[in-house]
Amino acid sequence: MTTYSLPVLRRGARTPKRPPRDGLFLTAVITLASIVGVALLARIAPIAGDPAKIVGPRLSAPSVQFPLGTDGLGRSLLARLLEGVGTTLVLSAFAVLCTAVISVALGLLAGYVGGWLREVVMRVVDVLYSFPSIVLAILVAAVVGPGQTAALASIVLVTVPLMTRMVSAAALAVAQRDFVTTAKISGVSLPVILVRHILPNVSGTIAVQGTYALSVGILVEGGLSFLGYGVQLPQSSLGLLIQEGGVYMVHAPWLLFGPAAVLVIAILAINLIGDTLRDRLDPRETRSLT
Amino acid sequence: MFSTLRWSAGRVLSALLTLLGVSVIIFVAVRLMPGGFEDIILGPLATDAERAALVAAYGLDQPILVQYFAWIGQVLQGDLGMSLVTQTPVATELALRIPVTAMLTVMAILATLVIGIPLGVWTGVRSTGRSGGKVARVVSSLGISVPEFVLGSIVIYVFSRFALGLQVGGFSQVGESFGATLQALLLPALVLTVFCVAATARTTRDAVMNVLVEPHIGAAVARGETPWYIIRHHVLRNAGIPILTLLGTITAYLLGGAVIIETLFNIPGLGSFMVTGLDRRDFAVVQAAVLFAAAVFVTVSLVLDLLTSAIDPRVAVTGKQKQ
Repeated sequence: MTTYSLPVLRRGARTPKRPPRDGLFLTAVITLASIVGVALLARIAPIAGDPAKIVGPRLSAPSVQFPLGTDGLGRSLLARLLEGVGTTLVLSAFAVLCTAVISVALGLLAGYVGGWLREVVMRVVDVLYSFPSIVLAILVAAVVGPGQTAALASIVLVTVPLMTRMVSAAALAVAQRDFVTTAKISGVSLPVILVRHILPNVSGTIAVQGTYALSVGILVEGGLSFLGYGVQLPQSSLGLLIQEGGVYMVHAPWLLFGPAAVLVIAILAINLIGDTLRDRLDPRETRSLT
Repeated sequence: MFSTLRWSAGRVLSALLTLLGVSVIIFVAVRLMPGGFEDIILGPLATDAERAALVAAYGLDQPILVQYFAWIGQVLQGDLGMSLVTQTPVATELALRIPVTAMLTVMAILATLVIGIPLGVWTGVRSTGRSGGKVARVVSSLGISVPEFVLGSIVIYVFSRFALGLQVGGFSQVGESFGATLQALLLPALVLTVFCVAATARTTRDAVMNVLVEPHIGAAVARGETPWYIIRHHVLRNAGIPILTLLGTITAYLLGGAVIIETLFNIPGLGSFMVTGLDRRDFAVVQAAVLFAAAVFVTVSLVLDLLTSAIDPRVAVTGKQKQ
């Protein structure tokens, strides 16, 4: 038996005009790319030195020799910051990837199959969402022991409810369209309908929600490590560095402001990218009131 | 009418189911944690027999199902149990701490309503201006991008280093004079407010912009109604639902954000209660506090949903609001 492959409905197809050049979006992409690039480069080549090595006097102010100063043990903050950025970003990105796989599977099934399956998925998601996010994260850390695994699991548990809801709502809307009904009537199997017909039409939602989930992931890792339940010393992560910076802030404020600035800039860039993706997915007119 | 009633009943039922789920998860999770409260009470030198006796004294050696039903039965009768570590009733401790967190929350929500919504309406109506729109975009994105632990640390630095007159982290006594409490909570509330205001402004702006393109607004402009009149009578009424939904998100944020802020500023509220309870493996405290926080969130979401269906009855019929 042959199955007919039905045309994928693309939202962009209705607006063939290219979106106007957006300087803000471009800036955000370049900023994020350079943060990621430098952090990854530092993993491969020691461009800022060994983060574990004591290189100078304790708490020395930023200078030519120590571009971001040194921390409470005399380690170079720049090296530790690069390591921390890498840990935070890799951890969050991997967690969001896991979230995306889980949420897309659950969301597509819940949205398309509906009925009791949708009810069960939504109730489970509601239960997870009812825990204050950081309490859920601390609880996970208490059960599996503080560390990277705890941070990873926490990010997944906090972001899955948000993303599953959005994917399932989008899948529900697509499931009611004629081409899905046609596919169903012509005997296309469930996995094929989900992957070939529904998934491409909710990919925009997945991209937008994935972007926002990444910023939530960085926030959760930061908060958890800040409270001491996430990434553990001697490793470094942005949350951990900010917590350390808080300890020395009166004598060495750069230990607080350096990591804090990088964290905020990274999250801001991700959020701006998410906003732009959302606006492109769902372009709208504007009107003035006069 | 019938469908609305049916929908509301279903919504209440699912809220109760959610709370049931939370109670099971928190109950099982605290028992999965390594270590136990007996280590805290007896110290490292206790013998195994002493530990076992203490665990048995609280009935923690019984099958988990028996324990669960005993606990749920107590909770349903309004008894939250005794703290395993401090030996005080959890309810007494909660009653001291809830007002503190509630005050933080009310201060943040008030600021959100007074600043966030007008800001959102203003930027939404003026969104046609290119540069103004961009500034609003960056500022509101910045507001939701600064984590509370970063902003909190910076606020503590600025106010303690430069002695700006407001006290940092000096919450001395629960039940102190109202003015002193208010003053001690001012900075933490300010930190929590930033996210709430920015999130509200963003959502309001989107909602307003979505209403502005509706034909009835065009008709109102054509009739020569003033912008202010249109905003009040046509825009705000129709933009209300996304803003209501957002209040649920903000409640969730405040319940979670309070945990970090209360730890950072040394405030004896609900959040720090949960964290110390978790650290001490105090099952009774963790179960009660987390269930309470979840109950607050679930109740707020339920009320908001019912309000939404009252404003827009289509929600109850189709299960979703008009896009």
